[in-house]
Amino acid sequence: MNFAVDHPAVLLLLPLAFLPFVATVFAASGYPSLTAVPRDRLSFATDIGLHLAGALAIAAIVFGLAGFHRREQPVERIGNGANVVLLFDRSSSMDNSFGNRLPSGSEESKSDAAKRLISDFVTRRPHDRIGVAAFSTSPMPVLPLTSRHDTVKAAVAAIDRPGLAKTDVGRGLVLAMTMFDENAANASRAVVLVSDGAAVIDRRVQATLRSIAARTPLNLYWLFLRTKGSRGIFDPPDPRQPDTPQVNPERHLHLFLSTLGIPYRAFEAGSPQAVEQAIAEIDKQEMRPLAYFERIPRRDLSSLCYAIAAVAVALLALAKLAERGLAERYRPALAPGGKRG
Amino acid sequence: MMPRAVRDFRFALLAAALVALCVALARPSWTLPRPAYDLLLVVDVTGSMNARDYMLDGNPAARLDAVKKTLRDLIARLPCRSRVGLGIFTERRSFLLFEPVELCDNYSVVDAAIASLEWRMAWEGDSRIASGLNSAMEIARSLDADLVFLTDGHEAPPLPASGAPPFEGEPGKVGGLIVGIGGGSLVPIPKFDDMGREIGFFAMADVPQENRLGLPPADASSRPGWHPRNAPFGGEAPRGNEHLTSLRGEYLQTLARRIELGYVRLQDARQLEAALAENASRRMIETAVDLSPIPAAIALAALVACYGALPLSRLVGPQRGTSHISHKNERTTS
Repeated sequence: MNFAVDHPAVLLLLPLAFLPFVATVFAASGYPSLTAVPRDRLSFATDIGLHLAGALAIAAIVFGLAGFHRREQPVERIGNGANVVLLFDRSSSMDNSFGNRLPSGSEESKSDAAKRLISDFVTRRPHDRIGVAAFSTSPMPVLPLTSRHDTVKAAVAAIDRPGLAKTDVGRGLVLAMTMFDENAANASRAVVLVSDGAAVIDRRVQATLRSIAARTPLNLYWLFLRTKGSRGIFDPPDPRQPDTPQVNPERHLHLFLSTLGIPYRAFEAGSPQAVEQAIAEIDKQEMRPLAYFERIPRRDLSSLCYAIAAVAVALLALAKLAERGLAERYRPALAPGGKRG
Repeated sequence: MMPRAVRDFRFALLAAALVALCVALARPSWTLPRPAYDLLLVVDVTGSMNARDYMLDGNPAARLDAVKKTLRDLIARLPCRSRVGLGIFTERRSFLLFEPVELCDNYSVVDAAIASLEWRMAWEGDSRIASGLNSAMEIARSLDADLVFLTDGHEAPPLPASGAPPFEGEPGKVGGLIVGIGGGSLVPIPKFDDMGREIGFFAMADVPQENRLGLPPADASSRPGWHPRNAPFGGEAPRGNEHLTSLRGEYLQTLARRIELGYVRLQDARQLEAALAENASRRMIETAVDLSPIPAAIALAALVACYGALPLSRLVGPQRGTSHISHKNERTTS
C-alpha cells in the first residue's frame, strides 16, 4: 500500500502524542497510599485505554493535518484490448475529399473522416494503450503509448490540420514499430497505418523494417484511404506501363509489407462508410486479453483521521463526565476526622 | 445532579475539541478564483536549435534541450486545469502535434511528448521564422489558445531585402509571447548526415549568406562588380555569418510588436511563468480550498491545552500545587 502525507513537516508535532502518558485530563485526588487500592483489572484497562485514547486523538489529528492519503496507484486488471500505435499520414493530399477535391457542402475531407472515425475507435477501446506518430516529409513521434485517451483524442483531432508536402512512409513505419516499450511485451501489439498514398521505401529503410519485424511480433494494418481515380492497392498493374515502385507505389508498398512475415492486412476504403467498416474490422481483430492498469485515484484519508480523533475525544469526554472525585464521596466520612486533626 | 466535570475547564476543552473535529469532518471549503492558462507551445526544431550555447548540469547543451527542460519545468508549475497543446515549427510552417489538453490528468503524457521533441522531426533545412510564426498564430486562434513560440530567430535562408512576410491575421486577437532562445555570441551550428550522425559544423559556403530573391537592396550599386542586369546583387559571392548563430533578439522583438505578443528571453520556468501572467489571457476557475485543517488545528490546540494546562500551571506555581496536596494528605492521614 502506498501511503503518503502532503506536509511532512507537520509530523514534527507527533511527539505531542506522548503528552497523555505524562499528564491527565482527569482531576487528581489525594489518596494516602496507592498500595491500599485493590488490584482491579478493569480499572487498570480503563486507565491504559484512556491514556491511549488521548494519544490516539492527538496523533490522528496531526496525521490529518499533514494530509495523510493513499497515493494514486495502478491496479493491474485483465481486459480485452491491445497496444496500438496509430501512424498518420499528414501529407497535404489528406485534406482533399475522397473525390480528390477540396471538400464542399456535406463532403468530408479524408482527414476529417479519419479523425472522426478514429476518435470513435479510441472511445470504444477504453483499455488500450495507444501511441500516436505522424509522418510526412519526416517521421514525428507525437505521443508515447498511453492509457490517457484524452491526449490521444487531442492528437487525433490534430490530424486534419494542413499537412506537409511529402510522404516518407518507410521511416514513419520504423518509428511506429519501435514505439512499443517493454510494458507492451506480453500483450498484442498493433500498428495502424492511416494514409492516402504511399511512396518508395529506401532500400536501407526496407532492411531496417525487416529486422524490426523479425524482432518485434506485431500486427500491421494499413487503412488506405483511396481517392477516386487513383491507383488502388490490389489493382493489377497497367500492362502498358512498367510495374515499378515508382509507378505503382501503393501496390509495391502492399507487396513489401506482405513479405515482412508479420500478420498484415490492408483495407482499401474509398468512402467514409468503407473506412468505418475497416475500423470495425480492426476493432474486432484486436480484442485479445490484455493486462492493463487501472488507476485508483488518490484517496484522502484525513477525514478518517479526524473521525478516529473524534471518537477518541468523545470517549475521553464521556470518561470525564463519569468522573467522581474521592473527596466528594468521602468528605462526610472524613469530616469528623478533619475536625479531630 | 450535575456531574462535577461540567464545571472543570478541561471538560470544556475536551468538548470544544470534539465540536471542532465534527466541524472538520463536515469538510468546510471555500471557493477561490485561481488563474489557469490555455496554451499552445510551439517549439522551433530547425537546425540552428542544435547549437550548443546552454549549460545543463555543467555540460554544454543544445538550445532544444534547454527549451525542453524549461517547458517540462513550466508545465509542472502551471496551475491545475490549465490546458496545454504542443506543436513544432520547421521550414515555413508550424505543425500541430496535439490540441490543448487538461494538464493535471494528462501531465505525464504531455511531459513525455515534450521530452521526445527532437531536431529529426524537422523536414527541411529552412527556417522561415516569420512565416512559421504566422501559421502558429493561425493555429492558436483556431484553438482559442494563447501562443508560446520558442525560437532563436535565425532566419534561414536570410530574409530578402524587402523584409519579413506580412502578418495577415488580426494582431491582438491571440495573446502570448515569443521566447528568444540562444546566447549573445555567435556559435557554430552542428551538421548531421542522412543517418543522423553529427559530422561537423556548417561552414560559410554551406548555407546561403544572402537572399537573392526579389529586388536587390538599395546599396547594391556600390558593391564591387555590380552590374544592373548581369550582377544586380554585386559580382562577388556574399560573405557573412549566416552559418553561425546567436539569439536574434531585436528581430524577434520587432516580430512580437507587430503581432502584439510579448517577448522574453529564455531563462527558467519561473521567469517564463511570470511572463505568461503578464502576456497570456488568464481564465479564472473556481477552486475549492479545503478549510478543514483550521478546525482540526483548533481541536489539536484544545487537546494539548487540556493535557498540558495542569502540568504547566504546576511548573509556573509549584508552591500552590504542592501545598494543596500536602494539605490534603495531612487531612486524610490524620
